[in-house]
Amino acid sequence: MKTKIIYALLFLPFLIFAQERTVSGKVTSSDGVPIPSVNVLIKNTARGVVTDFDGNFSIAASQNEVLVFSYIGMKPKEIVVGTANIINVVLEDSAESLEEVVVIGYGTQKKAILTSSVSSIKGEELSKEPVTNAAQALQGKAAGIQIIASDAPGSASTVIIRGLGTIQGGRDPLYVVDGILTNNINNINTSDILTMNVLKDAASLAIYGNRGANGVIIITTKKGRSGKMQISFDSYTGIKDILSTVKMADAASYVIYSNEAIQRDLRRDDDPSNDNNTSGFFPSNQQYNTNWLDAITRIGRVTNHNLSLSGGSDNITAFFSVGYNNEEGILKDNDFDRLTLRSNVDYKISDKLNFGHNVSVQLANVTPKGYSAFTNAYKQAPIVPVRDEQGRFGSSTAFNNVGNPVKDLHFQDEKQKYFKIQASFKADYKIIEPLTFTSRFSVETENGRMYNFQDRLGSFLANDPGNIEDNFEKDNENPAKTRLSVTHTNNYRWFLDNYVTYNKTFLEDHTINATLGITAEENRSEFLTGTRNNVPLNSNLKYNLSIGDEDNTQLSGGSISVMDRLYSYIARVNYDFQDKYLFNASFRRDGSSKFQQGNKFGNFFAVSAGWVLTEETFMQDGIFNKLKLRASYGELGNQNVPFNIVTATTGSGGFYPFGPNQDLQQGITITGTVEEDLTWETTNEINLGVEYTLLDNKLSGEIDYYKRVNSNAVLEIKLPDVFGFDPYNSHVGEVTNQGVEVLLNWTDKINDHLKYYIGGNFSYNKNELTKVTNPFFNEQRGGNIDNGQYTKKIAVGQPLGSFFLYEVIGIDDRGEFVYDDVNDNGITDEGDRKFFGSYIPKYYFGFNFGLEYNNFDFSVDTYGNFGNKVYNGKKAQRFSNENIEQSTFNNRWTSGGPSNTGPIAFNDVPLSSDYYLESGDFFRINNITLGYTLPENVLKLFSKIRVYASAKNPLIIKSFSGYTPELSGAPLGTAGIELNAYPTLQSYFIGINTSF
Amino acid sequence: MKNLIKNTIRIKVSLIVFLLLIISCSEDFINVEANQETEEALTADKAPELVNAVYNSFLTWQMSSFSWNGVTSITSDDADKGSTPGDTGTDKNLLDALAFDASTISFAEVWSAHYAGIQRANQAINRLQGFEMEDGLKNRLIGEAKFLRALMYFRLVQSFGGVPLITEAPDPQAENASDVLKRATKEASYALIEKDLQEAIPVLLNKNQYNAADLGRVTKGAAKALLAKVSMYQNKWPEVYSLTNEIIASGEYGLTTNYEDIWKEIGENNTESIFEIQSRGETPTAGVQGYSATQGARGTGGWGWGFNTPTQNLANSYEANDLRRDATIMFRGEILFDGRLVPNDADNERYNQKAYSSAFSDAWETGKNIRILRYAEVLLMNAEAALKQGGDAATPLNRVRNRAGLGNAPVVNQQAVWNERRFELAFEHDRYFDLVRQGRAGTVLRAHGKPFVDGKHEVFPIPQEQIDKSGGILVQNPGY
Repeated sequence: MKTKIIYALLFLPFLIFAQERTVSGKVTSSDGVPIPSVNVLIKNTARGVVTDFDGNFSIAASQNEVLVFSYIGMKPKEIVVGTANIINVVLEDSAESLEEVVVIGYGTQKKAILTSSVSSIKGEELSKEPVTNAAQALQGKAAGIQIIASDAPGSASTVIIRGLGTIQGGRDPLYVVDGILTNNINNINTSDILTMNVLKDAASLAIYGNRGANGVIIITTKKGRSGKMQISFDSYTGIKDILSTVKMADAASYVIYSNEAIQRDLRRDDDPSNDNNTSGFFPSNQQYNTNWLDAITRIGRVTNHNLSLSGGSDNITAFFSVGYNNEEGILKDNDFDRLTLRSNVDYKISDKLNFGHNVSVQLANVTPKGYSAFTNAYKQAPIVPVRDEQGRFGSSTAFNNVGNPVKDLHFQDEKQKYFKIQASFKADYKIIEPLTFTSRFSVETENGRMYNFQDRLGSFLANDPGNIEDNFEKDNENPAKTRLSVTHTNNYRWFLDNYVTYNKTFLEDHTINATLGITAEENRSEFLTGTRNNVPLNSNLKYNLSIGDEDNTQLSGGSISVMDRLYSYIARVNYDFQDKYLFNASFRRDGSSKFQQGNKFGNFFAVSAGWVLTEETFMQDGIFNKLKLRASYGELGNQNVPFNIVTATTGSGGFYPFGPNQDLQQGITITGTVEEDLTWETTNEINLGVEYTLLDNKLSGEIDYYKRVNSNAVLEIKLPDVFGFDPYNSHVGEVTNQGVEVLLNWTDKINDHLKYYIGGNFSYNKNELTKVTNPFFNEQRGGNIDNGQYTKKIAVGQPLGSFFLYEVIGIDDRGEFVYDDVNDNGITDEGDRKFFGSYIPKYYFGFNFGLEYNNFDFSVDTYGNFGNKVYNGKKAQRFSNENIEQSTFNNRWTSGGPSNTGPIAFNDVPLSSDYYLESGDFFRINNITLGYTLPENVLKLFSKIRVYASAKNPLIIKSFSGYTPELSGAPLGTAGIELNAYPTLQSYFIGINTSF
Repeated sequence: MKNLIKNTIRIKVSLIVFLLLIISCSEDFINVEANQETEEALTADKAPELVNAVYNSFLTWQMSSFSWNGVTSITSDDADKGSTPGDTGTDKNLLDALAFDASTISFAEVWSAHYAGIQRANQAINRLQGFEMEDGLKNRLIGEAKFLRALMYFRLVQSFGGVPLITEAPDPQAENASDVLKRATKEASYALIEKDLQEAIPVLLNKNQYNAADLGRVTKGAAKALLAKVSMYQNKWPEVYSLTNEIIASGEYGLTTNYEDIWKEIGENNTESIFEIQSRGETPTAGVQGYSATQGARGTGGWGWGFNTPTQNLANSYEANDLRRDATIMFRGEILFDGRLVPNDADNERYNQKAYSSAFSDAWETGKNIRILRYAEVLLMNAEAALKQGGDAATPLNRVRNRAGLGNAPVVNQQAVWNERRFELAFEHDRYFDLVRQGRAGTVLRAHGKPFVDGKHEVFPIPQEQIDKSGGILVQNPGY
């Protein structure tokens, strides 16, 4: 027996020698990056190797053995050795891995045991969209998050999470970038984002207490990976143009319309003798036929470059990136460029102590141009030339008040420069096994410099060819022919967070994860302005405040905000039993310097529970791979309410000129009253959700129902005028948002060459001002369109931002609008207005599709919303002798051709009516991308090259006749009203992604 | 065992560190002081500033500019809406046609601006009374604020009849807060106005007693002149007569030689001026917002919106050689005193020259002082009172006529004085109210083609929004 074994041992090497050979290859990720430290194991043996820094491996194996490749966060892969000597392996990210971790406030949590509603979007999903602000790339990618996109260069989109909860309070979500709580992410390079998590329900938001009510967006930036240095370079360039234009009347139509309008006025006045007087008519043979939109716009251009380095050793990992974005907007000379730099470094000082710092820098340059140019181009008469034969700017002062938009752009001479630094320094110290202490100090500071140079004389002369220099500020001893204003702004904030985390599993089944800590923060802003008259026009001098008049016309102003400080306690505990029964409670006690003594501290909390049904034995064999039910309830705050002190009115609100020289004497008065105990707004939210994965993990999704009630919404109280006080703020309202969110994703692989996904998300939200408790809340009006007309009103029982208008019920036999006489008093008055719905959509959704076929990839992302209204403000604002749309001309009523759709040509400022209210429904293709990854065997230096072409907004289906149905603004301001709005653009890009 | 001890020590150490962090950063951290001036800043040394802020309320658009011109001039036979037919100026077409109603915005602006100003005056008066300061200055400042409050209430009564009378800061949280909305009678309103003026007269300084730097402040003479006018609106002719006589006898005032000069920069605060709103056009500006711009000539080469234009009727009514015609009206194609051409193709034939600012033409805040009370009006009040009372009406009347380049009045009667008031005070926010006072608004305005309804149009409608807000306590004027 013994001998046999010895023989066998003796022969074994020969047997092996006979059957085994060396197999080698390279392991890369799906995006072509080599993966070091992958375990390569021969199945059912103990033999194995690990890949090197370049992802290379080499192992002895026989033909019918199976190689198993495994790596944390990747799906394991098995390959039969076969006859090949080289086996290259691509490992895919394990999207549905149970270990998937979600970043939540002050920590992380396994997605599998999460009991709150959080939308997670990967960085690569966001960087697919060629936008400068990552929030815009969220549009259509997550349920419950409404994004009102803006295509203006460098602008931020409006983000509304689960409906609008307030009018007077702050409405924006809180952003948290690597632990820094901030107002916006304009400074974040989308390519640097690893994940974006949107916290939506009270369970996830309560840890942000007094700033949680509008939702929180947590951004985690990329970290270095140890192993071989990875270098990526990405670049794209593209062109932009207006997606939908409005056909305006040409000179001939304009003249006919305007003359008919003049005739209407003559026939309506009390003098019958002038009814056929044509002396005020525009002559029909007009010299010019200007297309004003063409005159102010150009094809926009965008270029974006991004370089990143990632690497490290066992003890230090580092990530560095530099990004540059340059955009020439479609409005002439409206330019934007931005440089971002980021350095994220992590040090492993000892087994117990880790330290890391994330530092980012942004530099941005903006050449702003007023978007009122779009409205002026819409309104200016086509018979006015851009410039006349003598080269002077065309002027229309003789017959309307619209400026020459080209002239206005020409004389707007502004520059803005911004510099922002965000940095956080964090240490984790493992005190004893389950207990870790974390301390983080973060700081953010932003400086802005704005230069505004006015060539006042030039503008005066260009305004009207009849203006001569002698008339400019006539008799003013020293007229301000030019004026320079320079403004410097600064805002800073710092944070100190200290917390301990306890994480332990007892008796195998019981896991407790707890966090307890204290945070403090401070922020403040200030500005300083200097003004000087008669600074020379020379381009090298005009931004220099030290040249110009030496008299007392020099002005300066400035202010420093009151210090805003918070001091807060945070606590969270999470318990789960066998990953099956899940419980979570979180708490934050927020102390804020904003509120008066005795009202500073607020307590915010949430409780939630989950049940993972698929962990139960009775569910093991069903179609579900995962099925989780969860419920949460909690209380959140919005401390971003208007300040509750009455400041004395001084300066121009109080001063008065006395004496022979009219020297100003200061004045001071109090024009308001306050509610002294004004505090934060309180929102209570209940959320019920189900998460599911089924059909072999191919189908996955979530469904959520929520109801959030802001029970002490701040609304404006306008006392009757006789009190003589300005409106003031009071907790008198209740705003309710309730809705349903559905998320559905299907991912499948047809064969090794073809895989695809289809995803959709759908959100329904019902918004309503449900209650008001003060008699002097008198339904604040808003949506003023600068012609004396208002369009919106807040009222109980209506959604916020509801339009409140006259209803046009027909055209009478003289071609005039007939308005519904709601109060039946025979005249059209305030009592005839009605509610027509809000600009806030009831439904919004995204639908996404993608496929990969061999080296090709293709994706389509869409977004749409339904159930809202938009007001065509630029059309409704019309003053006399302004241009009209061609369709207005075509549909007008004339005595020869009565129309029942359009009124007679008129010059009166129209009443704000539903005639100008249009459906806000739209469906837009956000993005189509087609990419091709070069086969590996043609690459030498590079590990990956992908080229792609992409179209942003190539198609929109909408019924609105204006430039864009996406109209952001304050709920009682221009939200949902197209006036001075930036159009939606279509853009086309080509780009390249490389790594080496 | 050794490990356990070591771990226990570590836990203790870290707990101590944690507690230290809590203590070192206590909750005092969030006690931050406000860095802006609040109510506490209103101490005795701010007394003049509190009163200055009352004057300041006369510079606003709502108080003195577009709406006020609409309500006081465009409604009358002196002025048309003007501008282009399509430009309604929000509601000026309705004012012109007497087709307005309670929702017409101009009334809402006038109502709210006056009460905002009254609030400032109440605040100044009540705070000053509690201040420890030199009595003379304190009383004078209170007197100034009382005059300004009286002026605002007078304008409200002229516009709306009896109005809610507020003299202290009402508490909006009070249970019966709405009671302050109750309208007083016209008589009670006048009583308050008279009381304010009577209290102001003894404490105010005469024009020549003020320091130069205080030029523009309310004088004793101004308070008397306003009291005379208020008395005239109540037909208290003996009071009118004695007050105007006092002013005349004081010798402080006289007529500007050249009528046109009154509205030029050189005519500001001159001998004829009794009270005017001071307006500064130089930066930093402190002028009446939009006053000149809304009334400037419109069209190519123009400098304004072209509203509130003199009617043909006014232009035709002047006697031949009346210098006031050309001084009041800028005609299309006219070369103005400063050489400026009113464009030959301006949109309107005539514009209001009294609003024209040579120095700042189209600026939003020009240096145009608005004349509220002039010596010429004192003379005309004196003449009218003399007619009622018995006395010498001819002398004051003829002084006004002679200055305008006219001979003595052929007939000295009430109609002659009324006519003189029209020509002398055109576009000085007087005509509509004057016609109502004279009891002939219906006759005159209907003859002018306006649908004046007796018993209705003598006053304007209270803004509907205010009526709605009052829950029925504020009662609308008849007919609206």
